[in-house]
Amino acid sequence: MNPFEFEFMQRAFVACAVIAAVAPLVGSFIVQRGQSLVGDGMGHVAFAGVGLAFLVGADPVLGALACTVLAGLLLVRMGRAGLAGDLAIALIFYGGIAVGYLFASRAQAGQSRLVGLLFGSPLNLTWPEVGVIVGLALAVVAVVVALYPRLVAMAFDEEAARVAGVPTDRMVLALTVMVAMVVVGGMSSIGLLLISAMMVVPVAAAAQLASSYRGALVLASAIGGASAVVGLLVAHYRDYAPGSAIVLVAIACYLAATAWRGVTRRALA
Amino acid sequence: MASAATGAPLAAPPAAPLELDGVSFAYGRSKVLSDVSLRVAQGEFVAVVGSNGSGKTTLMKLGLGLLPAGSGHVRLFGEELSSFRAWWQVGYVPQRATASSTIPVSVEEVVVSGLAARTRLIRRRSPGEAARIDHVVELLGLEGLRRSRLSELSGGQQQRALIARALVTGPKLLVLDEPTTGVDAEARSVLRKSLQHLVEVEGMAVVYVSHDPEGFSGLAQRVVEVVGGRTPVDSGRSSLREVATG
Ligand SMILES: Nc1ncnc2c1ncn2[C@@H]1O[C@H](COP(=O)(O)OP(=O)(O)O)[C@@H](O)[C@H]1O
Ligand SMILES: [Mg+2]
Repeated sequence: MNPFEFEFMQRAFVACAVIAAVAPLVGSFIVQRGQSLVGDGMGHVAFAGVGLAFLVGADPVLGALACTVLAGLLLVRMGRAGLAGDLAIALIFYGGIAVGYLFASRAQAGQSRLVGLLFGSPLNLTWPEVGVIVGLALAVVAVVVALYPRLVAMAFDEEAARVAGVPTDRMVLALTVMVAMVVVGGMSSIGLLLISAMMVVPVAAAAQLASSYRGALVLASAIGGASAVVGLLVAHYRDYAPGSAIVLVAIACYLAATAWRGVTRRALA
Repeated sequence: MASAATGAPLAAPPAAPLELDGVSFAYGRSKVLSDVSLRVAQGEFVAVVGSNGSGKTTLMKLGLGLLPAGSGHVRLFGEELSSFRAWWQVGYVPQRATASSTIPVSVEEVVVSGLAARTRLIRRRSPGEAARIDHVVELLGLEGLRRSRLSELSGGQQQRALIARALVTGPKLLVLDEPTTGVDAEARSVLRKSLQHLVEVEGMAVVYVSHDPEGFSGLAQRVVEVVGGRTPVDSGRSSLREVATG
């Protein structure tokens, strides 16, 4: 049976591959800034938005987008005021998941629907939902391309970038909003708790092999997209949970990249 | 106000690249600098010395607007920091042990990142910028390393790349914070030669922070010492003292 023949599989392939290829583009900048877990935190906040949407009968994507963007703005403001300590950020993130589940349970949202959002349910997507995911991904790509030199300068050395005239506050803001967009875009396909892995793991794998930032970005994006396709195929044939399979394939890529680097290093030495 | 106290003429020559005037700063409650003034004139090479923790790095960050001064004025090229926009005129080499980077970054990417604020979306790199990149790469002896991964270079080569990044916009003021710490002899001599070129040929003003006089001896026209700062008895205040004229 060719899995590409089924329309639900086509939708899953498009949604997962697109968001998994775009997630590392944004992820590279947060990894470089030493904030690898920001995506995970944003996932928690998105869950509050999902719960709220269930409660008021709105679209979960809209609820999640509104909450994550608001939390992102709040975090950036707190950062500017010197209040974005570890603890304050943790409070926002854990508050998000607590509030989300409170709302969702009051709204009597089905457990399977919640699990689907937390861990992904790409096989249940509709074409309009896939369209929204692709739209979010394209918007993120456009912003990354437009701001690329400034984002690289800021991620590599924030103080030097400021002295070079880069508006680093605005770059942090743009980056935070992009993290929110990726989290929301990956929510129903790869899952709120797993999408942040796709921002980080392909980047970690590519960092082992590339020798330039641009090279690392392109490679990480390819690894992300390929992990989604391979992960979905594995999930299809073995009946695994798709989100988990995708992330595990990405982790396998990281391990392979690390091993490869070890081998080539030894060969050179 | 402070000019009368320091005896500077009222009609100062225009547009000193860097001017700190009665500046104070504290990290939370710990005072680091109080009422410090420093003026660096066009084409002047000023060395800033002082013991570890005396506040040299803090002073530079205040001058570059990376930290907000608690009191006093900071001016770049005669412009108050809050309204200063011509950042291409300023080059900064921050103090660091190594250039750490999780994501690989090539020497060329590091150098070009100095131009980030001037890069337009549609426009390609201008011939002038390309020439400037080639010039600084050559000046700092990085020709063969453009495509190398920064983290695989020696400390001295990394530092040269960071200096090239600071120079790529063609600044008129260059601030170097401990540029020779953990750097090999070759990088020291390359740095010395390039600084000489920058000051004598390009007329750049240089502020060189170091506790090691070897790096600036014979180059610095003025040596300024940041005094105090360490002992708690001193309430953590530092002030500036002119040490010598080289
Ligand atoms: N981010 C900071 N927070 C609190 N104290 C700091 C910070 N940075 C520096 N200090 C303190 O300020 C003083 C001056 O530091 P610094 O400007 O780095 O000195 P120097 O560059 O001369 O070694 C030191 O006592 C240092 O411990
Ligand atoms: Mg210092």
